[in-house]
Amino acid sequence: MAQLRQRYVLTQSQKMMVFILSMSLYGLSNMITELIPSVRLGPIELSVEYFAFIPLTLCILFHPFYAAVGAALGEVIFGEIMLGQFGGLGELEKFIAFSLAMFIAGTLVNDPKNRRQVGVAAMTGVIIHQFISCTVDIAKVWIGVEEFEAVPGLAQSVVVVEGVAFLNDVLFSGILFALLPTLYLVPRLYGKIEPLLGMKPRNNKMKYSLGEIIAPRLIVVSIILALLAAVAEFLSESDMALMEWDADYLNSIGGWFVWVSIGAAAVVACLTIWVLVRRGKRSRTAGTGI
Amino acid sequence: MEYVRKLMDRVSVEGVKIELLNTAYGNGDTFFARLDPRTLFLWYLYFGIAPWFIHNEVLLLGMFLFMVVTTILSRVSPLIILILCLGLMSQVGYLFIVSWLFSGGGEAILPLLKLTMKLSVISMASITAFCSMDPERLSDGLLRIGVPKQVSFGIAYGYRMLPSLVEEYHHIFLSFRLRGVAPQRHGMLYWRSIVYFLKIAVLSFYPLILSIAKRTRTTVEALEAKGFSYAYHSPEVKRIKLSYMRFTMRDAVFLVVSGLYVMMLYVLAAQISI
Repeated sequence: MAQLRQRYVLTQSQKMMVFILSMSLYGLSNMITELIPSVRLGPIELSVEYFAFIPLTLCILFHPFYAAVGAALGEVIFGEIMLGQFGGLGELEKFIAFSLAMFIAGTLVNDPKNRRQVGVAAMTGVIIHQFISCTVDIAKVWIGVEEFEAVPGLAQSVVVVEGVAFLNDVLFSGILFALLPTLYLVPRLYGKIEPLLGMKPRNNKMKYSLGEIIAPRLIVVSIILALLAAVAEFLSESDMALMEWDADYLNSIGGWFVWVSIGAAAVVACLTIWVLVRRGKRSRTAGTGI
Repeated sequence: MEYVRKLMDRVSVEGVKIELLNTAYGNGDTFFARLDPRTLFLWYLYFGIAPWFIHNEVLLLGMFLFMVVTTILSRVSPLIILILCLGLMSQVGYLFIVSWLFSGGGEAILPLLKLTMKLSVISMASITAFCSMDPERLSDGLLRIGVPKQVSFGIAYGYRMLPSLVEEYHHIFLSFRLRGVAPQRHGMLYWRSIVYFLKIAVLSFYPLILSIAKRTRTTVEALEAKGFSYAYHSPEVKRIKLSYMRFTMRDAVFLVVSGLYVMMLYVLAAQISI
């Protein structure tokens, strides 16, 4: 048993192979889906959101962590930067949501030949990803529109629009472009593609060493991200409060409030730079790859 | 459906490839392309985050105008601008129609307009910052601020490999069409043809996955022969690689002018209250 567990420890270059494979394949597919036009039937948009079957297949066949991170990076590079649609910090959210969903889907499968397991994992992955992005989209409008609740009909309409999009993506893209192709591809590729990368196929008794996946690095990064999110949340709350307060007193007090606003922006900027620098140092000293 | 056919003629694989390379390498001589990547990141950090938390119309309008100027200066391709406009309009317009159904009426216009303005400021800032850097500068800049090396490698690799990957996919797709049987009738709203093409688009990935796997192995072996993993761990290599980056007067002027402009906007916004 101990030997079986040992077997799936990948070498540095094997990790790199899984990473590059997943990145280029999913990136390419992303580019193709960007070019397919969407058909809109009233409120239901029948569009090919993404070819989720590629990262799902790779996460099931190979080590899910490297495949998931590679796919998410491929989306950012091919689908966003190269097409000139890079959203900057907004991409961070997509990256995290997508790699998390695909990673969970990959870990759910023990035996790639078991079709039921593969199907359940594929749908779970799509649902998790769509749920996260739907929630984030609602939150975006919430932050972006002042007095969100005060505008009649806006809160309901955002929820309805996002809910319809969620159902559409899960039922249409999820079944046609995640479930069916994954069920087709995984059993066919299992045992054929691994030798091309110089690896053994995943064993159904195999377990990931969770300690390796949930490395300190991952924990640190997620804590930092959670903190950043909390800070952003807090800032937005306090900013809104300041704005209300500002409307009454601005005329009498004068322009000093401006500096509070500038200061808040500066704090956000400095904090982000600090985090990036720290992350850079950490990766230099620790030197453990992704 | 005539319109669809015309569109499909225009969107050829060759055209897409050329447009991509244009986006990547087409504007190396603009003002922004010669700035240090770190300056652009710093600049983007403000214009990419701050608009979310600003609810003042004067301030937003001023930022919007500034972004329009920078976007024009960075000379991005009209296709990107078109995609941006379509995306903004479809998202916000749709939201407006649905809120109207929920008896929102005219009150929803102003907040949604503000939301559009915020979104467009943020996206134009990212277009200015990221489309005007060519891939090498972008990946070096990211490496410099501490992003893992895989990311910068991925960007360089993506730009290098993409044209050949697209070509390979296109060949497989064409050979599926050559050997397969296209549907006799198009069906209502062309659904038979659409289903047929989508099915081929998915099936084409099966051979592609295997051939990219082989290609990946070759790539990684070549990388290892050049000592990629060793270089990855070595700070000295990184220092030498990035030693050409330095801040110049140009960067300082750009940051100071942007800063002064934003400050002026704040003062202006405090004077005028709507």
